[in-house]
Amino acid sequence: MTGKDREAVALRTIERSRADQTEVRVGVSDRTLMRFTRGISNQNLASSDVGITVRAIVDGRTGVATANDVSDASIEALVERAREMASFAPRDEMLPPLRRGKPAHSPPGCWVDATARAQPATRAAICDAVMDRAEQAGDWCAGYVSTESEGLTVANSAGTLVSFDGTDSQANVKVTAFDSSGFAEQYSTDVRSIDGDAIGRRATEKATLSEKPVQVDPGAWTVILEPPALGELFAYILAHFSAQNFSDGSSFCSEGLDRTYFDERVTVMDDFAHPLAPSMPFDYEGHRKARVTLVENGVVRNIVTDSYYANKLNRANTGHALPAPSAMGPQPLNISIAPGTRSTDELIAQTTKGLLISRFWYIRPVDQKRTIVTGMTRDGTFLIENGRISGGVRNMRFNQSIVGALNSVEFSNQQQRTAQYSYSLVVPAAKIERFTFTSTTEF
Amino acid sequence: MEFASLARRVLDTASARGARYADVRFENVRSERVEVRNGVVASLGDARSCGYGVRALFEGAWGFAASNDLTEAGVDRAAARAVAIARASASIAREPFGEVPPHAYVDRYVTPMQRDPKTVPLGERVALALEAEKLAHASDRIAVARAWLDLWRTEKFFYSSIGSAIEQCIVQTGSGVQAMAVGEREVQTRTYPGDIGLYKSGGWEIVEEAALTQNATRIGEEATALLDATQCPSGTLDVILGGSQVSLQIHESCGHPAELDRVMGWEANFSGTSFLEIGQLDILQYGSPIVTITIDNTLPCGMATCGYDDEGTQCGVSDIVRDGVLRGYEMSNDTARAIGRQSNACVRAQSWEFVPMIRMCNLNLSPGNVPFDELFTDIREGVYMESNRSWSIDDRRLNFQFGCQIGWEIKNGKRGRMLKNPTYAGMTPRFWNTCDAIADANSWNAWGTPNCGKGEPMQTGRTTQAAAPARFRGVSVGVAYL
Repeated sequence: MTGKDREAVALRTIERSRADQTEVRVGVSDRTLMRFTRGISNQNLASSDVGITVRAIVDGRTGVATANDVSDASIEALVERAREMASFAPRDEMLPPLRRGKPAHSPPGCWVDATARAQPATRAAICDAVMDRAEQAGDWCAGYVSTESEGLTVANSAGTLVSFDGTDSQANVKVTAFDSSGFAEQYSTDVRSIDGDAIGRRATEKATLSEKPVQVDPGAWTVILEPPALGELFAYILAHFSAQNFSDGSSFCSEGLDRTYFDERVTVMDDFAHPLAPSMPFDYEGHRKARVTLVENGVVRNIVTDSYYANKLNRANTGHALPAPSAMGPQPLNISIAPGTRSTDELIAQTTKGLLISRFWYIRPVDQKRTIVTGMTRDGTFLIENGRISGGVRNMRFNQSIVGALNSVEFSNQQQRTAQYSYSLVVPAAKIERFTFTSTTEF
Repeated sequence: MEFASLARRVLDTASARGARYADVRFENVRSERVEVRNGVVASLGDARSCGYGVRALFEGAWGFAASNDLTEAGVDRAAARAVAIARASASIAREPFGEVPPHAYVDRYVTPMQRDPKTVPLGERVALALEAEKLAHASDRIAVARAWLDLWRTEKFFYSSIGSAIEQCIVQTGSGVQAMAVGEREVQTRTYPGDIGLYKSGGWEIVEEAALTQNATRIGEEATALLDATQCPSGTLDVILGGSQVSLQIHESCGHPAELDRVMGWEANFSGTSFLEIGQLDILQYGSPIVTITIDNTLPCGMATCGYDDEGTQCGVSDIVRDGVLRGYEMSNDTARAIGRQSNACVRAQSWEFVPMIRMCNLNLSPGNVPFDELFTDIREGVYMESNRSWSIDDRRLNFQFGCQIGWEIKNGKRGRMLKNPTYAGMTPRFWNTCDAIADANSWNAWGTPNCGKGEPMQTGRTTQAAAPARFRGVSVGVAYL
């Protein structure tokens, strides 16, 4: 379905709705992913689907119905089901009326035909190149290469009608040597820029460099977090910038905005138009996204809102609604941490004793308000001695406040996109003083 | 909808395109959710999805294609796409791996239930959630209370080129209530039942078993009291874990490392590998002799209970750990064959658009013979912990640190004052070898996990770890707050 097709479906749906107000989302997706490990492709898949969601509002009450069938009969059933459901909800006094959204323009580079048209052989060639690199070093590897295209249209009975089409491609690999491993990843809306050989080489070099890891004592360490590690850590503070968390008192910054919470070198934006991760210019209510400065030189300036929380807190709507139905409130989805002035190599060179960390694993909150999280290092942890990497280190567990970590931090001068299933961020590397490790492992 | 004729078309097309074997899984999925947050129905949703996934085997390599297009042209395209993808898999394979499944079945399965949730009016469901949420506001320090109900119904129709034709209707139900108290520089949360609610296969009786309204006020009071409770001490102490926390401990430190795909490196770049290497089978003393953990995908009310898995293998019972010794894995057809065994039906896909893969399914710790209260009797100094709050474990599933929502001091065999922020840490086999008592069947429950993440693209699995409270000696407690 093209954007025009989706818009026609959305408008037809609104016409048929008997609710006071109606919002419709029509989406289409085609996702592919090839996984590989130990010389085979263990999973290789493609999936295509459409989706239509109707949010019906009747006398301040909301019901949401979803289906993956855009036939007339399905639409008819959907609008009735959503309206019927709304009748069972209590009236919500804070629910604002739907509004007509302003036009929103996609940033450059969101859609690349080559990605949308990528064939299984394209993905196989990238996987093959990664595997070749690992095998040449006598190692084995596991990872994936994916390509996807998706389109979303949001319309409402107040006149909003916006559409977006985007592509993405990703590659991610872990190379495993005898007693060490290394990790590399790459993301782009253009699959032609995904370089399997380079990714394989980077991960293999890390695995080689971390061979024969030594055990070091837990405690407070100076660490340099490469972008995947910083991204994984920072992802666990994102919800604190939600108007919902802010207003319910569970955010670290619930005590107030315009206060200094971080090192003055910390500046964070929510920026849907960042060139390394261009994305949808409106939210799931069809409201135009703002580029929001969340942290400016260590001072928390803003939180993100949707129409509900903008109304409830009397703030501007920043365009950060999640797909209805959701009880999670608005969320920042396009985080960018501003770079510093020195390269990662320079940060390493100026470290007398510390750890270089490629990646974290299984971070989980330990203490919500104090932003204490725990997690493990994995796939490339290195000892830095006198400004040089001296070898690999066995993996370690940390317990650390994220806000505390970012109270003494210097960022590298180069940003990189990093992602997991639940987030996509643009971040530099970070040098952090007194990062607390609490235990080690035997591997 | 009549899927049999479309299935024949899929399988014929795949065969004509060169597939040695193919199967197709049609699914009708319905997910209904009610979530109340601070008096507002924050989520009232009813989502339906219908589609199918085709698996094709070509020269020992697999391809999978899924689509919602149920036209004849649509199923032709999906079948052809699955074979084209299988060919791409074969093009990079250093050796063939996939094989035709060994058995075909023609059968039907329906989740047993006392009251079909679809007969419960939406108004009744919303009213229950509103009431439970309201009761959880036990003090003015409760900043957020939530209550929720999930009703899931999946109709599956599985057909394979070796003759399987399996129809299943799986109904899963869950509900819970939560209170979050906010104090100065801290947040304390209590959830009931367990840490995520009570999730089982079955009907409305599962919601009734949860007894939300009977417990909502208590958990609101406990969340409030935790703000003023004593900090859990740090040190080496004896620990009793409540049933839902033992369930989480099984899930993270036995369920995931016993997935044979993970053991074989199939999840290495994401979920990780496993310390339960194949050479350890029948040798490793995983836990103390009282620790027996079985897969039972026929367990009444288990979230993964069904007749057949998503490869068409019949469900049954098998050992993972017997009397403390590692005896088996969660397996698929291909991975089982690689170690000379047969699949134990542990393959599931989140829904039709996802490729089937190994999941932990129902993984149960056999109950012991000690009444719950007697677990406390010979503890001189320890902590009783309930309801998970934090869980983290390394990518080989050895070094773990878990935190619970609430704890109680144990002194000289008696449960004492409430403790806040309890955490404990350890190394998996060392920890399970310190287990010296498991409560009896009266305290044993099928704790469902509705949101287990694994795979790329990420799939959400629904698992159960039936467990009773258990006692562990000499555990590292409180390390997160040193």
